[in-house]
Amino acid sequence: MFIFGLSITLIFALAFQVAPMLIRTFAPGLLWVVILFTSVLGLNRLFSLEREEHAMWSWTSAPVDRGTVYISKVISALLFVLMSEILFIVPFFIFLNLPANFSFFQFALILFLGTGAIVSVGCLISGITLQAGLRDVLIPILLFPSASPVAIAATKCTGSLFDQKPMTEWNFWLLILGSFFVIFGMFGYLVFNRIVEE
Amino acid sequence: MPFFNHRNNLIHAAIAIVLSAINIYIVLSLEPPNLAQGIFGNIFYIHVPVAWTAFLLYLGVMISGVLFLTKKNKVWDHRGLAFAEVGTIFMFLVLTTGPIWAKPAWGIFWPWEPRLTTSLILFLIFLGYFMLREFGGNPEQVSRYAAVVGILAFLDVPLIFLSVKFWLPEMQSHPQVGQYFDSANPLPTYFLIFSFLSLLVVSSLMIRLRTNILSVKEAN
Repeated sequence: MFIFGLSITLIFALAFQVAPMLIRTFAPGLLWVVILFTSVLGLNRLFSLEREEHAMWSWTSAPVDRGTVYISKVISALLFVLMSEILFIVPFFIFLNLPANFSFFQFALILFLGTGAIVSVGCLISGITLQAGLRDVLIPILLFPSASPVAIAATKCTGSLFDQKPMTEWNFWLLILGSFFVIFGMFGYLVFNRIVEE
Repeated sequence: MPFFNHRNNLIHAAIAIVLSAINIYIVLSLEPPNLAQGIFGNIFYIHVPVAWTAFLLYLGVMISGVLFLTKKNKVWDHRGLAFAEVGTIFMFLVLTTGPIWAKPAWGIFWPWEPRLTTSLILFLIFLGYFMLREFGGNPEQVSRYAAVVGILAFLDVPLIFLSVKFWLPEMQSHPQVGQYFDSANPLPTYFLIFSFLSLLVVSSLMIRLRTNILSVKEAN
């Protein structure tokens, strides 16, 4: 995921060399495009062991609520995507010559909520496409339109942060990210039982 | 027994045809509220009721999904698929008539208007829904997966609408829409409601026919 994110960053840096002045305006959007694509890569692999080794029975027969399995998948995917983000965000700023003069705590909050929102709906879609023949195609086709509010809200938050606007001006977008995370996290927890029914 | 051999279904179809004919006549013969837009202004009498119907049909997909997951009755799966198919046809009409109306009203075909954008995103989610139905794997499981996607799509609507609305705040106002809802001249509003009711009759016939076909297929 880290190498994939780094590769896309490199492509963006090369492609936007023709207009280096515009790159600052586009940077928030580019960052979330990289994160969204990287997440898809992670989500494709999320249930790969269960799929390849036919090991799904091991946790469908475990004496725990299957919603708990969904929560654990969300947490593990969130950790993996966040770790890869931390690794490729540094080269992202270096390659695109972006100034890092903003609050790192607020940036971390945006990354956490945005990635959490993508992963919460992504884990659900990954579970839904577990048996599908065209799994690699179906995940982005279902995820991208479903996660479009996340793309808008996260880009708005990041853009405002890069422009050093006060948080009161863009906390509405944080609320959208948080709501998305909570709503789809709860929805996934509730319906995951039905998804993995034998 | 074929669907149209039932007397009630024939009556339903006859009412749908008559109402649609009256609706088309009204839309084509009515004086446009804004003469500057010409006859394009009258697309509004189709575009808005079609959009209302499409969103209502997608609500039907969600309700069918919830009922299928709780009751596990195959009828709700068939109804969910029928709602999704008819809803997507209507949504395609929204996405076609919207830009035709937007060009004379706003000067561009695609204004990123919140409702139109929400319709596009929902339309794309439902294209994924049909792909999942086709390539999702075991039919028994696919029915459950499709029900979940149907619920997920409708849960997404308020969030998509809010984000698109505040993404481009200048698109919030619709001065062009007000002319169709004028309390001094309620006639356009009545025509809109009539158009909506006629489309409800047409869509309900389509859903009943499709559900019937799916049930017959399942029985064989």
